[in-house]
Amino acid sequence: MYTYLKSFDRSYTTEVMLKRPDKYREIEKFSKESSKLITMGSNYSYAPIAFDKKSTVIDLSHFNRILSFDEKNKEITVEAGIKIFDFLNFTLDYNLWIPQLPGYPYISLGGAIATNAHGKSCGVDGTIRKSIKKIVLYHKINGWLNLSNEENKEIFDLTVGGLGLTGTIVSITFDLIEFNYTDFLTVKKKIYSIADSINNLKENNKNKAFVYSWNTTHDIENFGKGYMFINIPKKKNVKIPKILKKNNNNSSNFSFPFCFWNRLTINIFNELYYKLLDFKKEETEESFLKVVFPFIGKENYFRFFGTKGFVESQLLVPDLVLNIFLDEIKYLCKIYEPSIALFSFKTMSGEQKLLRFEGKGTCVTFDFVRNKKNLIFLEKVDQLCIKYNILPSLSKDSRINQNTFNKCYKESEIFREKLTNFDKNRIYQSEISHRLKI
Amino acid sequence: MNYLIVGASSGLGRELSCIFAKNKNNLIICSRNEDDLNALKSDIENRYKVKVKVLVLDLTSQEEVEKKLTANNELLAEIDGVLFPVGMMLEKDTTNLDVKKIHELISANFSSIAFIASKFISQKNEGIITMFGSVSGYFGRNLNPYYSASKRSLESYFESIAFENKKKKIKIQFYILGYLDTNLSFGKNLKLPKGSIKKLSEEVYKNKDKKSKKFFYPVWWSVIIFLLKIIPFSFLLIFNHIKKKND
Repeated sequence: MYTYLKSFDRSYTTEVMLKRPDKYREIEKFSKESSKLITMGSNYSYAPIAFDKKSTVIDLSHFNRILSFDEKNKEITVEAGIKIFDFLNFTLDYNLWIPQLPGYPYISLGGAIATNAHGKSCGVDGTIRKSIKKIVLYHKINGWLNLSNEENKEIFDLTVGGLGLTGTIVSITFDLIEFNYTDFLTVKKKIYSIADSINNLKENNKNKAFVYSWNTTHDIENFGKGYMFINIPKKKNVKIPKILKKNNNNSSNFSFPFCFWNRLTINIFNELYYKLLDFKKEETEESFLKVVFPFIGKENYFRFFGTKGFVESQLLVPDLVLNIFLDEIKYLCKIYEPSIALFSFKTMSGEQKLLRFEGKGTCVTFDFVRNKKNLIFLEKVDQLCIKYNILPSLSKDSRINQNTFNKCYKESEIFREKLTNFDKNRIYQSEISHRLKI
Repeated sequence: MNYLIVGASSGLGRELSCIFAKNKNNLIICSRNEDDLNALKSDIENRYKVKVKVLVLDLTSQEEVEKKLTANNELLAEIDGVLFPVGMMLEKDTTNLDVKKIHELISANFSSIAFIASKFISQKNEGIITMFGSVSGYFGRNLNPYYSASKRSLESYFESIAFENKKKKIKIQFYILGYLDTNLSFGKNLKLPKGSIKKLSEEVYKNKDKKSKKFFYPVWWSVIIFLLKIIPFSFLLIFNHIKKKND
């Protein structure tokens, strides 16, 4: 059927041909009917990764089954359309999970693989790549392929974080790890500057806890003031309750007709929230759901950006250049006065390769109102990324252009070459692959 | 309890399999897609901790159905009920359809179902049979003549076995389905809303022990069917003629 799809950040809307197979042979049939394809999980990527006007979209939402589970060896195979909440409802019953989960439970695991997603604990646990044992991929020409470190390794590497451009990820085998906690103890700590934030981040990241910050940018004198949060798992000898019963994201496409966020409302909101946190206890007990999925119940934050949407810039900054980069950001904020709705830090680990948003450093996140002034500011940020070898997240920022991509992602050309060797007709394409000429 | 679900690999059949398994019933799931059946078997066994057997069966060939069921006679002996959430539609289902396809449509939508149901009845004194018809079986239309005819036959067959087995403890349910939210209706521009297969499956499970009965789903289709029935057929022909002209 023909339908309209929007990216989560509202930057791109187009009419697409959508096919929703519910049998394996239908994946083959629908793929063979079209010359250009792309696979969609839940379409929660901020940037338009799962669709394009010229590609038939294969929606894998019916492929959400548990194909095998080995409690003893802590291994599970699931179909790629399974949502995180459904997956966790099952694995947490056995006190098992994977720790590299993005912050919204309705994201599909296939989508999480295609973007090499990470969670709050990425400084300790890395990205989802670390939990993948095997992938089954369907490619229109190359057929059904088993991918792992032992089998078809090159395609395996291209597929994890490969934005769905190698084919349809149909099933995934994960190595699970034990998780015996039901609640978290959240400790908050006041921070007075960016430097304070970074010091605290590094210090607390040594513990096996989730550490992240919430910072403000409106007060240039105290640029970066805010709070640091440390979520420490609390052990309890009870079964973890089902985290979510059903998918209640029916209104995910809704947004307010105008943008509520501007410099004034952001300043007021940030100042009020800051004061509110002042009054909150130093230590509070929080549920698994609230800590692991911080965006649950806060969907209005995104809707308040209105129909024009927002831009999220997520940057992986090497530790060596972090201070100088942040000094330059502060300087640019003074000049351009962007309206930044969210500013946050967490640490990251891993190894950067191909298109993966992964590596050792600090993950800096900004949310901007999508307007001309902010877009000019972001162009300056892109220049800083090139200058300091900073990696912008492709799945978050739908503005990134080919030049920034080529210069920041050192293996972009290697990815292109390997992908073209595997798929000479470049069948799997999305808006992002067109924009970045992949 | 053990249930045989014919056409279990997708849509309503898959949802019914999950609901019955969730309520701790063992299943024999069958359809013609072995890969999909095996995936469903694993999913159900892992999630609901019940036993699931797979039977690959192509209802479009009555010969194959007869052969396989005879070879697996013990399967029918161990089941307490059989459900037929199955239907086959062809885009080219018109009055000039080739004879092989006509046989396949009639076999998948009527005769294979009737054969399995009869086998079950012959071996059992109690249990449940649940069949699924279609509102399209009430009136011939421009579209899908063989599908509609076989669904009408199925309803007539249901009535016959319901009468015949009144003294036995076999409860036979017949659901007359309107538009459902399945892959058959995905992307089609339908004039009326689609019913949820999850809700239907829950209803089927809830009603399974009720005496032999017909149900409409979604229920408001009973009003539409009633109105269509009281309108003289000649009026419908004229209406259809005008509609075609305007199109």
